[in-house]
Amino acid sequence: MYGWNGKLLRVDLTGRTISVEDIDPRVAKDFIGGRGLAIKYLYQEMDPRADPLSPENRMIFATGPLTATPVPTGNRYMVVTKSPLTGALTCSNSGGMFPTEMKRTGFDLFIFEGKAKQPVYLWINNDQVEIRSASHIWGKNTHVTEDIIVAETDPKAKVACIGVAGERLALIATIMNDKHRAAARSGVGAVMGSKNLKAVAVRGTQQVALAEPKKTRGLCRKVHTEVNRDVKKGSTLREYGTAYVPVVTNEIGILPTRNFQTGVFDKVEGITGHVLTERYLIRAKPCFGCPIACGRMTRVEDPVYGGEGEGPEYETIAALGSACGVGNLAAITKANYLCNELGLDTISMGATISCAMELYEKGYLPEEDIGMRLHFGDADAMIEMVKLAGEREGFGDLLAEGSYRLAARYSHPEYSITAKKLEFPGYDPRGSKGMGLLYATSNIGASHMAGDLAYMEVFGVPKKLDPLVIEKKAWYIKHFEDIFAIIDATGLCVFLSIRYLFDPTFEVMPTRLKELINYVTGAGYTMDGLLEAGDRIYNLERMFLVRAGFSRVDDTLPPRMLEEPMPEGPASGHVVELEEMLDEFYSLRGWDENGVPTQEKLDSLGLDW
Amino acid sequence: MKVYLRLFGTYRKYLPTSAQGSTCNLEVPVGTRIEGLKAQIPIPSDENLVILINGRSPKAGQVLEEGDTIAIFPAMAGGWTFLRD
Repeated sequence: MYGWNGKLLRVDLTGRTISVEDIDPRVAKDFIGGRGLAIKYLYQEMDPRADPLSPENRMIFATGPLTATPVPTGNRYMVVTKSPLTGALTCSNSGGMFPTEMKRTGFDLFIFEGKAKQPVYLWINNDQVEIRSASHIWGKNTHVTEDIIVAETDPKAKVACIGVAGERLALIATIMNDKHRAAARSGVGAVMGSKNLKAVAVRGTQQVALAEPKKTRGLCRKVHTEVNRDVKKGSTLREYGTAYVPVVTNEIGILPTRNFQTGVFDKVEGITGHVLTERYLIRAKPCFGCPIACGRMTRVEDPVYGGEGEGPEYETIAALGSACGVGNLAAITKANYLCNELGLDTISMGATISCAMELYEKGYLPEEDIGMRLHFGDADAMIEMVKLAGEREGFGDLLAEGSYRLAARYSHPEYSITAKKLEFPGYDPRGSKGMGLLYATSNIGASHMAGDLAYMEVFGVPKKLDPLVIEKKAWYIKHFEDIFAIIDATGLCVFLSIRYLFDPTFEVMPTRLKELINYVTGAGYTMDGLLEAGDRIYNLERMFLVRAGFSRVDDTLPPRMLEEPMPEGPASGHVVELEEMLDEFYSLRGWDENGVPTQEKLDSLGLDW
Repeated sequence: MKVYLRLFGTYRKYLPTSAQGSTCNLEVPVGTRIEGLKAQIPIPSDENLVILINGRSPKAGQVLEEGDTIAIFPAMAGGWTFLRD
């Protein structure tokens, strides 16, 4: 096979057995790879009603056919599993160097099942696989863990691991790779912790075979030339990282502020990209094969907030910053470093703290339960909450369960700004209506990565849509969910794909992406066939949800989004008209009124219950 | 009349030194249209950019009013222009 390695590695942690299986080329083509192939295996191998923290849950690391190829940004892997935070499936995506190294071991997927009796880590050196004791690393943070494992294995090994938060089954725990990159969302770190699997270290030296190497390299050169020309003219992502975004979302009135009570933040200028670049940036840091380099290596020299690491990204600034009313970028950056070291999702962590702040200020959460005061804007309290959550100490034990369980505990679940119990990312959907439909319907809960229409509603890529109207948004969300499934499945990063591999028209068709997949794999996708594969992935994920017990009642948003008009700013007076979009969305998807795929739809995609 | 201009991302470099954060004050003649204002800023004409008036998408030919805030930024977090073949 070309592009695909055609093999998966299966690790049964209970029986300590390791096996290698071939991947059927027809299945690979139907599901592309990465997220798509992973859901195919997840669906056929586990009961969707299983307890996500039980040995029955599968955890799949998946690369795509373009991972570790010359295609720019071919550096992604995904963690696909049943989420302990949401009860739905999840696909949590990360870049860096680990995914490329993983693909070069000769496997497309690692499937982990069962539960080790004692803490272990896996050392995969090409086709040599060892399960090693991790007793001496258990309890260590992610940076120390990576250093120890690299020293014990190979200086060139790449490591994905959990921190203390994952060990202690925090439902908002991440899997960190290359120290600073995160498969962050939905508590995948807790699943890894539940399996007593501290880390996976990989060393791979096998090149991915290309079906048409000359054509692949030719088109890649063209893309590189375009990106480099644009970077020379001035690239916002290169200069400021995603941290440049707060001023933009604030301008249109959708920057999450004080637990989404409003969409404008008076301290926004202090938490935005130019401040990060001027004060703290050491250098821009690319993932493997990326000409953009949006990553930020930073250092804060400050007696209280000092530290060094990577970040913050926009989502982190919105969640730990404006959502908590915190306008101090040094403090936000410090909290980001702590999340990375403890292994916590910065979005869910910030959103959960901001929820606690609102509950506290409204008098529903007593100070004695927290152990301190917890007002919006209190940077030191915010940082203390991160530490407590990561260690699950005191009040942090509850924070580690995410905002829904926290708010429900205090009898006010309406203050949890979540969909399917996953905390919202940094776009208030009252001023970005398509994002509202996305959060409500996404198979993994409120994730921008499931079909980020903010590209069009906020950033004008490839064309600008009015964020305040609902017309045609059902079509766009269906289309974006499908094309994001395709991008994920290939193993590329969306930043490059949307900009350089899709047509710059309102139809947003993946013309160049299709060419690249065909040059790499030789699979001969037609445009219809490729789009159908995205639709197939999305529908199989939905089937998993349906069998796990989800239906229309779960495709919803918190009351604040549906009933409480935005109080100020450009989106003032707006709510999300969800029901008006939802029927049209189901109809476009070929689902019945309860959000269940019809038999006719499944037949057309070659799927079956 | 006075309007406020905000430039984000790489367009920050076009802000005058008198700017406060991302915002500067501009004096423009009454009746100035959005296209006329854009022409006063030295952004290359082939740039793919986003313009907002008071946080909302403007209509073509929209006439500015006293106190309006005009925000301009490169299309997308990437800040790149799509170069067509």
